[in-house]
Amino acid sequence: MDSRKMKDGILQGLIYFSTAFTVLVLVVILGFVLYKGLPGINLNFLTRMWDSKTTFVKVVKEESVDNNTKDGYISSLGITIDLDEKNKVYITEIESESPVKEAVNLKNDSYPIKKGDIITKADTTIFENITIEEAATALENGNETMKLKVVRPGGGIIPMLVSTIYIILLSLLISAPIGILAAIYLNEYAKAGRLLNIIRFAIQNLAGIPSIIYGLFGMLVFVQMLQMQYSILAGALTLSIILLPTIISTTEEALKAIPATYRQSSLGLGATKLQTNYKVVLPNALPGILVAIILSIGRIVGESAALLLTAGTVAQIPTAFTGNEAAAATLTTKLYWLIKESGDLSGASSIAIVLLVLIIVLNIISKTITKHFLAKQGNK
Amino acid sequence: MNDTVSKFSVNDLDLFYGSFQALKKINMEIKENEITAFIGPSGCGKSTFLKTLNRMNDLVENVQIGGNIYLDGVDIYSDIDVIKLRSRVGMVFQQPNPFPMSIYDNVAYGPRIHGIKKKNQLDEIVEKSLRQAAIWDEVKDKLKKSALAVSGGQQQRVCIARTLAVEPEVILMDEPTSALDPISTLKIEDLAVELKKDYTIIIVTHNMQQASRISDKTAFFLLGEMIEYGDTHQIFNNPVDKKTEDYITGRFG
Amino acid sequence: MENNKNVIDKQAHTDMAEVRMKPNRVRDIVEKIIETIFLLCAMASVISVIAIIAFVFWKGLTPFLGDNSYSFGAFITGTKWDPGNDIFGIFYMIVGSVFATIGAIIFGVPIGILTAVYIAEIAPKGLVKTIKPAIELLAGIPSVIYGAFGVGVIVPLVNKISPRPQGESLLAVICVLTVMILPTIINLTEASIKAVPKSYREASLGLGASKTQTIFQAVLPAAKSGILSATVLGIGRAIGETMAVMMIAGNPIGGIPSSIFDKIRPLTSNISMEMGYASGRHQEMLFATGVVLFIFIMVVNITLIKITNKAGEK
Repeated sequence: MDSRKMKDGILQGLIYFSTAFTVLVLVVILGFVLYKGLPGINLNFLTRMWDSKTTFVKVVKEESVDNNTKDGYISSLGITIDLDEKNKVYITEIESESPVKEAVNLKNDSYPIKKGDIITKADTTIFENITIEEAATALENGNETMKLKVVRPGGGIIPMLVSTIYIILLSLLISAPIGILAAIYLNEYAKAGRLLNIIRFAIQNLAGIPSIIYGLFGMLVFVQMLQMQYSILAGALTLSIILLPTIISTTEEALKAIPATYRQSSLGLGATKLQTNYKVVLPNALPGILVAIILSIGRIVGESAALLLTAGTVAQIPTAFTGNEAAAATLTTKLYWLIKESGDLSGASSIAIVLLVLIIVLNIISKTITKHFLAKQGNK
Repeated sequence: MNDTVSKFSVNDLDLFYGSFQALKKINMEIKENEITAFIGPSGCGKSTFLKTLNRMNDLVENVQIGGNIYLDGVDIYSDIDVIKLRSRVGMVFQQPNPFPMSIYDNVAYGPRIHGIKKKNQLDEIVEKSLRQAAIWDEVKDKLKKSALAVSGGQQQRVCIARTLAVEPEVILMDEPTSALDPISTLKIEDLAVELKKDYTIIIVTHNMQQASRISDKTAFFLLGEMIEYGDTHQIFNNPVDKKTEDYITGRFG
Repeated sequence: MENNKNVIDKQAHTDMAEVRMKPNRVRDIVEKIIETIFLLCAMASVISVIAIIAFVFWKGLTPFLGDNSYSFGAFITGTKWDPGNDIFGIFYMIVGSVFATIGAIIFGVPIGILTAVYIAEIAPKGLVKTIKPAIELLAGIPSVIYGAFGVGVIVPLVNKISPRPQGESLLAVICVLTVMILPTIINLTEASIKAVPKSYREASLGLGASKTQTIFQAVLPAAKSGILSATVLGIGRAIGETMAVMMIAGNPIGGIPSSIFDKIRPLTSNISMEMGYASGRHQEMLFATGVVLFIFIMVVNITLIKITNKAGEK
């Protein structure tokens, strides 16, 4: 009797320990990421480009109304400057009517100067080891059409955010229609038999293939053979295959939940199968399809190995589907790159926080839809 | 056309689910503008037979049919348009099963899939069908409300209106009142009698009073065979077959 | 039509009816075409699987065929990877991958099962509501974040207790993989525990068993096929995981690990580390590594499909 109690006690202890371990691990991971990454999160991190960018611009100055340049205010340019911690001259304030908003680059394309930009040269004066007064005087007294060398500081995740969104949109554009139609075929048309077994076997297998293998395939076929190079299209095509099993099985579940009587009464009214699917089946499966898409977005946001081999790690906003202009680092691949190439765990953790927020938000959305959907079905 | 015209002629109809024979050599003539009732214990094949009349059994896998069914002399199991067949032979199901849409959209569903798009035309059809189904007065103020929000009996009449909106010639009713309360049941029965002026109605029912109240002809089924078929009055008062008599007097079933 | 009596009248009637019932071929063909499009979409999965296998195997088997071929035996049994000198041995990577996977299973499966038991059988409802989202979050965390966690927390910890000069090691990989497979194990086990009929529990309790005895002797054995597929799925995840392990494995150029503190170079990280710049035979050898990985995965997948199908038949 006692030995039985002891055994029960030990087993119970193990159960509590295991649960505590699981929860604790999550807490430690979140704590670590927040501890390391939170200090790096600020408006600049969320809104700036990744690389700093140097540009020569021309600005047509206005009539000077105030020659007092003591506080770093330059009235002919309508800006206020200051020194940052590295003694660089940067713009702290731009007036609404300021001529720097009309600035053009050397190709005469518009390049408005923004708050936070660093000025490193004005006409011939190089801004190095310079006081605010000296810099302000040089700016105030410069040529009528002034030539400035401006550095727009980087350190932000905008390119990765935009690239991630592009890849999400592109992959869904490819795989959502295919996956949804495939699910409709499997649930509404397919008859039990060899073909159906083969398709199901393939889907089950796809779900089990690790992303690195998808990466290999995407690299060989899309990047190299189809000469897309590291690009958002190569990445998105690879991802759309990865997403298929999720989209198909989630959509199928939604289709299965639709009462058979809906289909029967539609057919009984002389509707064709296609009309029935389009007018009755699809509208009722919509919440489930939405959940499938949100799950897919989550998968894309978290994906890294496949994208590393197909989309590259360049932090830029892609301006093409394929080729050099289309190479793109997503948040995850940049996170990896930061640790691997520069050992910057803090920067990586800041990106990790952004990723986690995205994942949590997606989780909540899909939960809400499911709950809403279930509640609605319960009424019937 | 005189009253001897058959709407349906059924010749030696066999039906198999896989290797199980659910209908055995059924022969029957169903007259126009009459109510024909199918009665018999559960599993006797009456519902299965009903569904062969507009080929709803096509949806079930592994079904095989032998023999012929003629609708106005055309074999409906030959190379014909099933969609047109189902538009001509409408169906009302056991459970009220409106789509999860508004009452209006439910009734307009059929006309819409058959290509009617004009709002005023649809309005007209919806009103006419709901009036024919004797539910217009009850729902005219909530046409935009979900069809799932009204009572079960009302839902079933909306479903009948939905069937009528397609302008069928025949209406198959598969135990249309089995899920309803007695008052709703009476309403549906009155409706059926009213409708037979314009339509041929075939009704499967468990309820023998119902069959005797509303039908002109009655067929009794047992274990996939049609035991007896004739005028309702004769079947209920003077059955020829012993099994029919046993069933209608409640000795089994 | 032998059943017609008044032939002439009836014939005219029938002719009219036949016209009305004429099949609408155009519409039927359109329906068929669209069904075929749906079918093609469904076939996309089949085509993808075949294409992935074909291309990866074709590229991966190239170096072992033809005139200037590399010995497959040397590839599969070799313990040194030195692309610069044309030496490609992956045996030590296979060993590393297998050890890491076994380690993760040894720790992850029991912890996962016991956590699932807690959630399904013991925890009060309110607590379940906090634990379940936590596990969902654990499942949703991208692998690079697990990698960052490994680099920032696990590797320094291992370094403190390790006799080796670095913390990147088999042990670090096992720790991170254990955590990564937990959600999979927990969710599947929980689902299969919940599927066990209540009557089993009642019968066991009625025979005088304690709650704990009931769980371990009646409920868990009844849920074993679900637990088995959870384990197999966990193996698949562990062996295929790339980014997180790449960051903490150490990835040496050779040597079979002899201690948990040794560095390892899993098959997956071999591929992803060098794929970016490899070319020619070096690249083909990375594909060959992919082929070996793929074979492991196929075995796992097919086992899993067999288990689920078997459970489905019951």
